[in-house]
Amino acid sequence: MIQIDDLTFRYRESEHPVVEGITLDIPDGCFVGITGAAGSGKSTLTYAMNGIIPHCYPGDFYGSVTIDGMDTCDVSLTDISQVVGSVCQDIDSQIVTSIVEDEVLYGLENFGVPHDQIEERVTEALQSMGIEDLRHRVIASLSGGQKQKIAIASVLALHPKVLMLDEPTAELDPASSRAVFQLLSRYAWEHGTTVVVVEQKIALLSEFADMLVIVDGGTIRFADEPRAVLAHSEELLKLGVNCPRSTTLMNRLAGVGLYEGPVCCDVQEATSALMEVIA
Amino acid sequence: MIEFRDVHASYDADIKVLDGVSFQIQDGEFVAFVGTNGAGKSTTMRLMNGLLKPDAGVVLIDGVPTTQLKTSQIARQVGFLFQNPDSQICSNTVREELLFGFKALGEVGPDAEARVDGVIKEFGFDPDDDPFLLNRGTRQLLALASIVVLAPPVVILDEPTTGLDYKECVKVMDIIRRLHEAGTTIVMVCHDMEVVGDFAKRVVVMSQGGVVDDGPTFDVLRNPQTLTRASLIPPQIVDISLALPLVDERLATSPLAFANTTDEMQAAIAQEVC
Amino acid sequence: MNGFLEYVPGDSLLHRLNPVTKIVFAVLFAITCFCTSNIFFLCGMLICGIIMAASCQMLRPVLGLMKAVLAFSVILAVLLLLTSPSGDVLVELPWGYIGTGSIMAAVTTIVRLEAAAIPLFLTFYVTKMTDLSNSVVKVLHVPYKYAFTFASTVHFIPVFMNDMKSIMEAQTARGVEFDQGGIVNKIRLMVPLCVPLLVSSVRKTNSAAIAAEVRGFNLRTRESGYKQYPFSAVDLVVMLIAVALLVAVILVP
Repeated sequence: MIQIDDLTFRYRESEHPVVEGITLDIPDGCFVGITGAAGSGKSTLTYAMNGIIPHCYPGDFYGSVTIDGMDTCDVSLTDISQVVGSVCQDIDSQIVTSIVEDEVLYGLENFGVPHDQIEERVTEALQSMGIEDLRHRVIASLSGGQKQKIAIASVLALHPKVLMLDEPTAELDPASSRAVFQLLSRYAWEHGTTVVVVEQKIALLSEFADMLVIVDGGTIRFADEPRAVLAHSEELLKLGVNCPRSTTLMNRLAGVGLYEGPVCCDVQEATSALMEVIA
Repeated sequence: MIEFRDVHASYDADIKVLDGVSFQIQDGEFVAFVGTNGAGKSTTMRLMNGLLKPDAGVVLIDGVPTTQLKTSQIARQVGFLFQNPDSQICSNTVREELLFGFKALGEVGPDAEARVDGVIKEFGFDPDDDPFLLNRGTRQLLALASIVVLAPPVVILDEPTTGLDYKECVKVMDIIRRLHEAGTTIVMVCHDMEVVGDFAKRVVVMSQGGVVDDGPTFDVLRNPQTLTRASLIPPQIVDISLALPLVDERLATSPLAFANTTDEMQAAIAQEVC
Repeated sequence: MNGFLEYVPGDSLLHRLNPVTKIVFAVLFAITCFCTSNIFFLCGMLICGIIMAASCQMLRPVLGLMKAVLAFSVILAVLLLLTSPSGDVLVELPWGYIGTGSIMAAVTTIVRLEAAAIPLFLTFYVTKMTDLSNSVVKVLHVPYKYAFTFASTVHFIPVFMNDMKSIMEAQTARGVEFDQGGIVNKIRLMVPLCVPLLVSSVRKTNSAAIAAEVRGFNLRTRESGYKQYPFSAVDLVVMLIAVALLVAVILVP
């Protein structure tokens, strides 16, 4: 779905490239988690995948990014937006209307979705985020978690082939964060949507992502299924990426020869692996 | 000492946020407030440093109600680190930013300059850097430093690690731990349960404007009723340790069922296997 | 809880009117107020406005805004008082005098501004910004870019006010005393805070622009709007009333 080929990008105002020599192939329907330390270039990488680079920020762009067969440099941002739906990090500035329903309508109207399909799309998008009951509410009166779900629903309504989210759970408590990931992964599975999410909460990525991408110093250090990436817990720590504690525990047990199974990505896996160790 | 006595609070007179909250925080404690978004944690913090006054009940700082104190007097007692450092930083250089608090309190002088120099050294800042050009993590550290420099006996932190990566988070929490060891009372709102488990000595759980549990960190985080009631997800090791006896009853008395940290759990497993 | 000029949901007659009717009525009402200097008529208009506010439970926010308008119009009124000598002399001034006519002019100005402002404010409280901009684009053929710019500006006012509040709180927590001293002191303390506010607003507007673009802002045309805004008989009556008022003040001296 997304092919990045030897991408290097330097913002006009900075001296050095922020991402350098990145090559990445994201298959159709994949749930990709991108993480890395602050300033590692992970946000820039996502900007390259939704066309904000090179269309909104000037700079030197080398290599190519192909989305659903389109070279992002050859088509307009609006064309890219028809394929890639983006949810920004700052939800308050993304929201353009005051009522939930209108917010979901906004993109549908702009992209010229036939008016006889609109009602169905709005209902479906709200349902997939579990917020049908908020339809007529004033957005300003809702909580951060609810606003985040609205922002996602308003993009899902456009039926994007790729959904791109920049730290969607930054402002949320652990329970709401997990709820957002559950809803996202269920939606992606049901609709075959490719999801790319930048996230600091490694425990959520390990549990939900099909592919974990670790960015460091503008290059990709790891891009593989979470199990394979988390096996390198020591190295990850040096890059400023902390593994989930359940993974660290099992990796340590493996280190002292008490455990020989596969790497554990979450609490459930670790619990059942431990039962075997004890037995 | 900070004391809440049956505190009720609301915004704009119609939206009730706190509904009868009472607790005491002794000098030198390290307390974490946890709970879902909208549980009333941030409101509690704002009441603690007088930014908000209670509708009913009293908030006492060393026995004096906040309603009888000027905000500048409270600022001397209670330092407050906001969630977003951008709302706090307003000077052109790191040095000026650190001096800002002294200026506001009218305490500029050789003592203040010396404190600022000490903090610059301790945090490893360049005093001439422009704060707006620093990255998010360093700005958060600067915001923290500008509180630390005033040496208030109590420091309140509203989600100090939100938006930071792991290394930055370790840095910030390390400074907070050192502050606590030096005798500062730490009160923090935190969503990251691993951080809470690693650092806090006591946890206050809030839900829908009230306190639902309050006690030593792991007593609270291991209490299944509390976890359900406040929609909390415990630290992963605690989660595993709670799950094991549910899978196999015989483990209920094993040290596995009491392990709170990765080290404890590893030791318990080694013991169990041998 | 509602912020400055933010929509408050409701089901009153004013809520249900066509957005175009509301904005046209409000504008005509304001023009009418400026076309007459008859104090009795203006007072009548003011009372009408207050009754309208009461009819949709918006009395409280409208009274709040009236205070703000009052502060502004009093300044104007004082200027008028000092610079428009007319009627019987009451106080001699080095450059003229204050007369009964001056007082009349000053009072008229205050009443006029208040009366003209109420329906305009009210329109925002009882109409969703989206409906307002969509309907003026559809019905009045206003270019969407202008409507969107206006709507976003209004939308961002409470966001920036919130930012300002948290910036001031952060300074208060460090011992800055905004509540001490007079207005001059307050302004002096607030000036350095404009820097962080500016930084955050530039960042916010920038990301808002990008967010709108990736959601197809450039594709939007006059036909894009999904909701229809049909005119009813009531709308017609309301429009006629507005026109009749205007005609009345123009024809009746």
